Amino acid sequence: MSSNVVQRNNVQVFGSGEQPMLFAHGFGCDQNMWRFVAPTFADRYKIVLFDYVGSGKSDLSAYDANRYGSLDGYAQDVLDICEALALRDVIFVGHSVSSVIGVLAANRAPDLFAELVLIGPSASYINDPPNYIGGFDRADIEGLLEMMDKNYLGWASFLAPSVMKNPDHPELSTELEQSFCSTDPKIARRFAQVTFLSDNRSDFSKLTVPTLVMQCSDDTIAPLSAGEFLAREVPHNTFRLLQATGHCPHMSAPAETIEVIEEYLAIPRAA
Amino acid sequence: MGSIDQQLETAPCGYLTFSDDGTIRAVNTTLAAMLGYAPEELCGQRFESLLGAGGRIFYHTHFFPILKLHGAAEEVYLALRTRTGTEIPVLTNGLRRERGGEMVSECIFVRMLQRSKYEDELLHAKRTAEAANDAKAKFLSMMSHELRTPLQAISGYCDLLLQEASGPITSEQQSDLHAMKGASGELVRLLNDILDFARLESATASIQIEIVRVESALRRAEALVAPKLTEANLRYSREGCAAPLYLRANPDRLQQVLLNLLTNAIKFTPLDGTITLQCSADDSCTRLAVRDSGCGIPAQDLERIFEAFVQVDRHRIDARQRGVGLGLAISRELIRAMHGELAVASEVGVGSIFTISLPTAAAPVENAGALR
Repeated sequence: MSSNVVQRNNVQVFGSGEQPMLFAHGFGCDQNMWRFVAPTFADRYKIVLFDYVGSGKSDLSAYDANRYGSLDGYAQDVLDICEALALRDVIFVGHSVSSVIGVLAANRAPDLFAELVLIGPSASYINDPPNYIGGFDRADIEGLLEMMDKNYLGWASFLAPSVMKNPDHPELSTELEQSFCSTDPKIARRFAQVTFLSDNRSDFSKLTVPTLVMQCSDDTIAPLSAGEFLAREVPHNTFRLLQATGHCPHMSAPAETIEVIEEYLAIPRAA
Repeated sequence: MGSIDQQLETAPCGYLTFSDDGTIRAVNTTLAAMLGYAPEELCGQRFESLLGAGGRIFYHTHFFPILKLHGAAEEVYLALRTRTGTEIPVLTNGLRRERGGEMVSECIFVRMLQRSKYEDELLHAKRTAEAANDAKAKFLSMMSHELRTPLQAISGYCDLLLQEASGPITSEQQSDLHAMKGASGELVRLLNDILDFARLESATASIQIEIVRVESALRRAEALVAPKLTEANLRYSREGCAAPLYLRANPDRLQQVLLNLLTNAIKFTPLDGTITLQCSADDSCTRLAVRDSGCGIPAQDLERIFEAFVQVDRHRIDARQRGVGLGLAISRELIRAMHGELAVASEVGVGSIFTISLPTAAAPVENAGALR
């Protein structure tokens, strides 16, 4: 069973620490998105990277439309990995939809998790006026699906596996062929629907695990209103507004992202 | 004629660079004019402000990560918003490079009004076709169910009459009733095949893949066809299946395909012929081949036999061999849904070999006893 999960989710483990840091990627990407941030923590933590089933180099044949028809199925992926690697005291770092997935996992097995670090989280992307501004209406999500359909229609070359380059640091470029993004259009479409149409506000309110909420400035995917909701509703949360703009600070502003996480983890916890 | 830079200003495509935080650093006149702005109005704005809501999500979840991680993105469809809010479909190529001491993403945009319309039509046609296919599958499934009930009643009443429940019958009537019962049995089998085929599309989406021990799968299939082998007086043997082999499949669907191939081989192999099951495997692929010494299939028909409702040379085959012609179509679909392939090679007068290829699985270290 354990080797199956490792293969299924393309789990990669490195680093010299004992305590695990489990990095969970967002919709559209795979574990490669963490390569500007995760290595920094490898001298103190056990770094665990993975791809959700349907993303990156996961086992596409393990995709089950029923299981992954809700974010609970993805949370089960996280719990399966914790079980397969016998992880305890986990620092879960999730980007975007993985914030929700991490919360669902932590609510189901709170004893497994020491901290949640949520980057650009949103408990619901859909507006629920007048009480909640998620930033989007259903029609907007249709617009996204339309755009994905048109890009997947011709199997645009950017979705195909290609050689991984790193123009910022050419010395880090690898000649390995990497598949990137959700390469199966049907799976990607379903993942988009379950990501952007789920409303998990009540799940965030039930959290018992200490949580760092990292809100970007001027993030049009997870607007300040979504962050403020979390700052207000999540028990035991530390809210940090980043200078970084956009939705992917771990890629656009990795230095600040690392600094904020390090600062948070350095705070002594009550035993 | 000015410098290349000057020419870029009015080149027949939009040009724009933006930094990692999405700030537009440079934009050419063509793009600014296309969107109804002066270039200086756009510099300093966020690139995503030129996108609609869906486009902004796509930018953050696909376009920017690909540029950042891969260094380039090609043939990306985006819709840029003009000052008045209308959207212009564009095809975009992007490349990350250093400009003015910082890494930026440099993009060109080609307007694609006609092509986008055509693609919309394609998408619409694709969706319509998918919907029609779903409707067809539902109709077939419903029709098969509806027809099966009265057919089963016919068969049941034949049995009652044969048992003389309604009074004595002559031997002629008995033989007619057997013919009626046989025909209704054929119809039920046909309906089951149609139902299977109709279910296939929805079923393939939810096929559960497990690790299957080849030995167990073979034994299960062999037990079911053994009586038919004896009846047809055929010699059956295995080749290369002794080593413990494991593959990734759904055990029940694999069983269905193995049974279909073995039953076909039995149907099309003359008395005293041979049927051989050959196994072979490498790290990635495990092959199970059913070889018969039957009549063979003409080369021009080899691919057609996998099409639904096709049976080669129907007029030449006898009743024993007749079927609806759905078995192989279903089998190939099932194997493909399990990430494998079903292929055929054949020579007329010598025989045929049908080969299932499925992903090899590592021998499980635990729970081996629970494997089917």
